[in-house]
Amino acid sequence: MAATRAGPRAREIFTSLEYGPVPESHACALAWLDTQDRCLGHYVNGKWLKPEHRNSVPCQDPITGENLASCLQAQAEDVAAAVEAARMAFKSWSAHPGVVRAQHLTRLAKVIQKHQRLLWTLESLVTGRAVREVRDGDVQLAQQLLHYHAIQASTQEEALAGWEPMGVIGLILPPTFSFLEMMWRICPALAVGCTVVALVPPASPTPLLLAQLSGELGPFPGVLNVISGPASLVPILASQPGIQKVAFCGALEEGRALRRSLAGECAELGLALGTESLLLLTDTADIDSAVEGVVDAAWSDRGPGGLRLLIQESVWDEAMRRLQERMGRLRSGRGLDGAVDMGARGAAACDLVQRFVCEAQSQGAQVFQAGDVPSERPFCPPTLVSNLPPASPCAQVEVPWPVVVASPFRTAKEALLVANGTPRGGSASVWSERLGQALELGYGLQVGTVWINAHGLRDPSVPTGGCKESGCSWHGGPDGLYEYLRPSGTPAQLSCLSKNLNYDTFGLAVPSTLPAGPEIGPSPAPPYGLFVGGRFQAPGARSSRPIRDSSGNLHGYVAEGGAKDIRGAVEAAHQAFPGWAGQSPGARAALLWALAAALERRKSTLASRLERQGAELKAAEAEVELSARRLRAWGARVQAQGHTLQVAGLRGPVLRLREPLGVLAVVCPDEWPLLAFVSLLAPALAYGNTVVMVPSAACPLLALEVCQDMATVFPAGLANVVTGDRDHLTRCLALHQDVQAMWYFGSAQGSQFVEWASAGNLKPVWASRGCPRAWDQEAEGAGPELGLRAARTKALWLPMGD
Amino acid sequence: HDLSWISKIQVNHPAVLRRAEQIQARRTVKKEWQAAWLLKAVTFIDLTTLSGDDTSSNIQRLCYKAKYPIREDLLKALNMHDKGITTAAVCVYPARVCDAVKALKAAGCNIPVASVATGFPAGQTHLKTRLEEIRLAVEDGATEIDVVINRSLVLTGQWEALYDEIRQFRKACGEAHLKTILATGELGSLTNVYKASMIAMMAGSDFIKTSTGKETVNATFPVAIVMLRAIRDFFWKTGNKIGFKPAGGIRSAKDSLAWLSLVKEELGDEWLKPELFRIGASTLLSDIERQIYHHVTGRYAAYHDLPMS
Repeated sequence: MAATRAGPRAREIFTSLEYGPVPESHACALAWLDTQDRCLGHYVNGKWLKPEHRNSVPCQDPITGENLASCLQAQAEDVAAAVEAARMAFKSWSAHPGVVRAQHLTRLAKVIQKHQRLLWTLESLVTGRAVREVRDGDVQLAQQLLHYHAIQASTQEEALAGWEPMGVIGLILPPTFSFLEMMWRICPALAVGCTVVALVPPASPTPLLLAQLSGELGPFPGVLNVISGPASLVPILASQPGIQKVAFCGALEEGRALRRSLAGECAELGLALGTESLLLLTDTADIDSAVEGVVDAAWSDRGPGGLRLLIQESVWDEAMRRLQERMGRLRSGRGLDGAVDMGARGAAACDLVQRFVCEAQSQGAQVFQAGDVPSERPFCPPTLVSNLPPASPCAQVEVPWPVVVASPFRTAKEALLVANGTPRGGSASVWSERLGQALELGYGLQVGTVWINAHGLRDPSVPTGGCKESGCSWHGGPDGLYEYLRPSGTPAQLSCLSKNLNYDTFGLAVPSTLPAGPEIGPSPAPPYGLFVGGRFQAPGARSSRPIRDSSGNLHGYVAEGGAKDIRGAVEAAHQAFPGWAGQSPGARAALLWALAAALERRKSTLASRLERQGAELKAAEAEVELSARRLRAWGARVQAQGHTLQVAGLRGPVLRLREPLGVLAVVCPDEWPLLAFVSLLAPALAYGNTVVMVPSAACPLLALEVCQDMATVFPAGLANVVTGDRDHLTRCLALHQDVQAMWYFGSAQGSQFVEWASAGNLKPVWASRGCPRAWDQEAEGAGPELGLRAARTKALWLPMGD
Repeated sequence: HDLSWISKIQVNHPAVLRRAEQIQARRTVKKEWQAAWLLKAVTFIDLTTLSGDDTSSNIQRLCYKAKYPIREDLLKALNMHDKGITTAAVCVYPARVCDAVKALKAAGCNIPVASVATGFPAGQTHLKTRLEEIRLAVEDGATEIDVVINRSLVLTGQWEALYDEIRQFRKACGEAHLKTILATGELGSLTNVYKASMIAMMAGSDFIKTSTGKETVNATFPVAIVMLRAIRDFFWKTGNKIGFKPAGGIRSAKDSLAWLSLVKEELGDEWLKPELFRIGASTLLSDIERQIYHHVTGRYAAYHDLPMS
């Protein structure tokens, strides 16, 4: 017999049956770092860029603190070089047919497959996450993402006709992130023909490795460029000429600040903020499985953040007992160990947890920690916080990884109130064995993703995103593609930045208006008042502004609306919202059709008012007819909403729902006083939103005429029209925290203000930036873009099986 | 005991399937740990032969293997030769109990003999003959009786009748241990598996066992998770620890490690002893021995390097 290899410990282990270390060799990760002489630069245009005279930051093993490599920090000129490379690459990349891009993405997927060990060991080594999660989860999903988007690219010419790639995308990633966050965003961007400059945090080798793998594939070196540098480079990257969109994922306050600083800049902004998730455990749930859901969400290195856990009071004790029992069996350790549930995410994450736990305790919460966790830093034990008073400051902040904050609820209705009572709207899961209850909760939750009896499932074909302050950018599925597309023929986005715009005073004061003489003319006296809550009301300011016709004569007076009127209008819209959103698309269409018929009956009045604004009679009549057609078209279009996705590895459907945004504020353009008003009103209402509209400033009378019909056709509060000083009303709406989205068609300055002010509740905004729109053209006046912007997506996962 | 324990239970099938997938990937053991765990697994094995062509000679061989499951020199190399490692029991048909008892006595050891009973594997015989079968096996010297439940009672929801039947099995066993085979592959749903487990434990089973090995679907992880959760719930409610025995389809050493960690994860270390955990298997032992051989020598064994069972 050959010499024995057995150690002396077998006897002890035979008795204790403990787990041993299962180290995963990271030799290949170190060997790759050696190829760079342990000094990582940036990967730009298919080459390593290692400029001289740059600061460098050590890339450390988050657990041992061992120095793995030093990473050069980019400066503004490196950023400019990367953007320039991406801009050059965009020319050929976007000009190639989709199949060519599909080939490139497929080849990248194959390269990843061939070198996956390098990828997973490097990622686990530098992030400290459990290697099992990276190996079995992230790396596989990265390949699926590339394959899925390769297919989307290859069918782009048919499936996405009418859309074109935006251009160069600036991608900004948070300090602790999985390389998957990058994959989710670069895949759709590259697929549709955009090129990417990713700014990654100081010490993140994995994105550089991916860029190298992509760059070495050959013909398109500059499509993916990765530079690493401090957060101070974010505004520099965002304001580089040529960057058409900035996709930011990271912390809430940083996103808010970026929203403010990018107001009026050339780049559009897509935000994905926060990491917290939510789990609703009802009394009909399979509690043991729900506990596994909690583990998946917070204690398995799958999710990035902490978890808010709502447990029905009747099963509180049982659920807590099972949770605590389960926590005792969790193992934490070095990420490169094959048998741990949780790795460690470095000292900063650890400090954050400790601060949160101390604060929660001081505010009266109970803290339970358990698990087989090394006692030394930077390991954090799985933590369960309960009895945190809902009004305490700690209950309002985002829950950090790996903390679970549990609180009870009494009924499903209350669960919805509690769950929706936070500014966050990322993802949530519902655990209930009663289908009706599960769907009720799933539809009622204001979040981007809902899993029924599961947590944290992901698939490239399912859109993932959020609402409210989690930001409204999407990745995955068709929604992920539209993030990087714009309607064909739209001019490239230009900067409308006006440095001397004073946000504090913009639209603050209303210039006073004086009587301008009596109204004259053949037409009947125009309707007067603000159309709020279904009837014409006198403005709070009790003053009016004169409207002149094209020849300069007084056409009529309209009410001068102000802040209080906006408040009232938003309230009225909120009251009408639940009823309207609950209507079937068919019922909504019926009302839009009724309004269309009413418009046609009123055709002669409307046409004569348009004539007084200088339109030819024929053109005026055509505008009225087209407006009626728009109403009918949107009513019909909205019937075909949402669809069912089939996902690999999941039995059961995933529903892609299109839900109304809530109260939508619309500031209409000055031109096309009737057609633009109706073209904006129709999609907004068709998708179930209620609206507060500011009509054309030049001629609000047309909108008020329509209000006369809306008063008879629509339920009260559905559409509210406030006339007055445009800038002032814009200011009030943009700063209103309970307006869920805003469309602004007006001046460049107004657009800049709206973008800046939206940072308050991070409402999605659509601002024209002073560019006129051809409202009579189908593409611009009634194109799919309006439908996309009028609703938000929710993915509802419904696994099945008995 | 209270039938309300099974009325409110909810088992979510897809969620249990996901857990089953994860549990196999989340825990592994390597090197000495693997060797020690594999030796431990040997002590959990109910070394089984349930064939129509069993005779006294292959029963004798089986019993000898149960006494000496791993080659002596391999155990010495691991310094485990004095631990008295044998399998937990041998498991045979009632008619072969005598042979097994005799062979084990000849080998000079007190490994228990387990006998299947009650119309194994289908359970479709009269209650009277099923009870008589138990008594005869006990008379012949079997100290553990693996009974199959009447699946028709589960599928028609006659839980009290099922409870009564198992009570009678319990009585017929006398001093012998009662292992109740749920034949989970024929119960229709995981919720039924949970309910049948609970009833079997309430009626006094010492072990609940997944399957006979004769169904088309045998010991699977999802089923095991549900049974283990039932065992834990029963322990929480009554303070009684009931044993668990997966059987059928466990063939590789790697599988056996996964089963050990499954029990460790769901129930804890106190269940990892032969009184509370068994693995019903026939070919598993030889694969474990091959793995031990490899661990000790660094080479892969040839077929003839290890004695057959």
